[in-house]
Amino acid sequence: MSLDLTFIGQIVIFLTLVVLMRKYLYGPMIDLMEARSQKIADGLAAADAGNEAKAKAEVEIAEQLKEARTKAVEIIASAEKRSAEINEEAVVKAREEAQQIVDAARDEVGAELNRARQTLRAEVAGIAMLAAERVVESELDASRHATLVEGIVSRGFGNA
Amino acid sequence: MADQSHGDGGIAGHLQYWTVKLDESNPFMQIHMDTMLVSLVVAGLMFGFALWLKGRLVSGAPSGAQNAMESVVGFVDQTVKDNFPVHNPLIAPLAFTVFVFIALINTIDILPAFLLGNVAHLFGVEHFRPVPTNDLNLPAAMAVSVFVLVLYYEFKLKPVHFCKELLMEPFTNLVPGFLKPIVMPINLILKLVEEVAKPLSLSFRLFGNMFAGEVIFLLIAFLLLGGGAVGMAAGFFVGLAWTIFHLFIGLLQAFIFMILTVVYLSIAHQPAEH
Repeated sequence: MSLDLTFIGQIVIFLTLVVLMRKYLYGPMIDLMEARSQKIADGLAAADAGNEAKAKAEVEIAEQLKEARTKAVEIIASAEKRSAEINEEAVVKAREEAQQIVDAARDEVGAELNRARQTLRAEVAGIAMLAAERVVESELDASRHATLVEGIVSRGFGNA
Repeated sequence: MADQSHGDGGIAGHLQYWTVKLDESNPFMQIHMDTMLVSLVVAGLMFGFALWLKGRLVSGAPSGAQNAMESVVGFVDQTVKDNFPVHNPLIAPLAFTVFVFIALINTIDILPAFLLGNVAHLFGVEHFRPVPTNDLNLPAAMAVSVFVLVLYYEFKLKPVHFCKELLMEPFTNLVPGFLKPIVMPINLILKLVEEVAKPLSLSFRLFGNMFAGEVIFLLIAFLLLGGGAVGMAAGFFVGLAWTIFHLFIGLLQAFIFMILTVVYLSIAHQPAEH
């Protein structure tokens, strides 16, 4: 139970084993494990960054969507306004045109009426002359009385 | 022990080493072949396992042997990191080797008490102690190696502080100035005792635990062989219980040796307060 040469041999074995274990087992394994934890940490960081970017993008998308919606509402409103204006314009124009047509028609009718009146007057004067001729026969001076009758007729029809 | 007859010499007969004497007159000049052989085999197995595993290491999800070793490596690495103020790339492999080497050697103790001895008898060897940690040489070798490392780091990292501590602690500040030179040798002696106690306690703790464990195994074995049917039955169950307990002790002693190694080296690495 005393120390002897075995002690020296054991020191050699132990120290050699430490060196070998460090070189062939512990070193490679700890390198590997550290590389792995680094990789996992990187992966988690990347995942976090990705999530952050996703959240940011979602916010951006929501903003853009909101903007687009507002714009669409604006466009629709302006289009409705524009269409109402066009409608209004068309109605006004149509009304004007109708008025013009009515006016023209009325003018034409007036002219036609005048013409008819003139014709009628002439005819009535002729008839009256004819009648007066028949009634008064030849004692009357046709041209002098014609003026007289015409005056009467015109006065009488003019008031009519 | 020397006067015990060989072979069936009772328990003491089973506590003799397979000794090769190089010089009959000098008790230091002898080698315990069984201790050397078994520790070399264990070390060789560890080295072979390391080489085998090194070729199969995968960087992805580990499995099987790599997974098991990674848990041990991770445990040792965490222990060292928890205890060490600075990074020293030698400490963790040292602690790892201490832990695995001692744990493996201690585990040999759970083999049936006479098995390896009887195998050795077949080859003409009279005495064979299967567990090298039962031989004071191995724990002492490891403890002294660790102690030398501790002294190396003490002198390398803070030589002035360490020498001052050797001479000035613990009494110098308690005595008046003219007495200081007188208490310095006393301080030195106390401090040397304190330092030498480290490897002594480290080696004797492991040696004592494992030696006592083996003696109890032998007692149980003799009970089993010599006590008739009842003795055999009792011996079997007591032996089983002791095997399980001893397995735990072996692991615990390996852990204690490792953690004390780390702690002693960590103390040597602590920065000087003054």
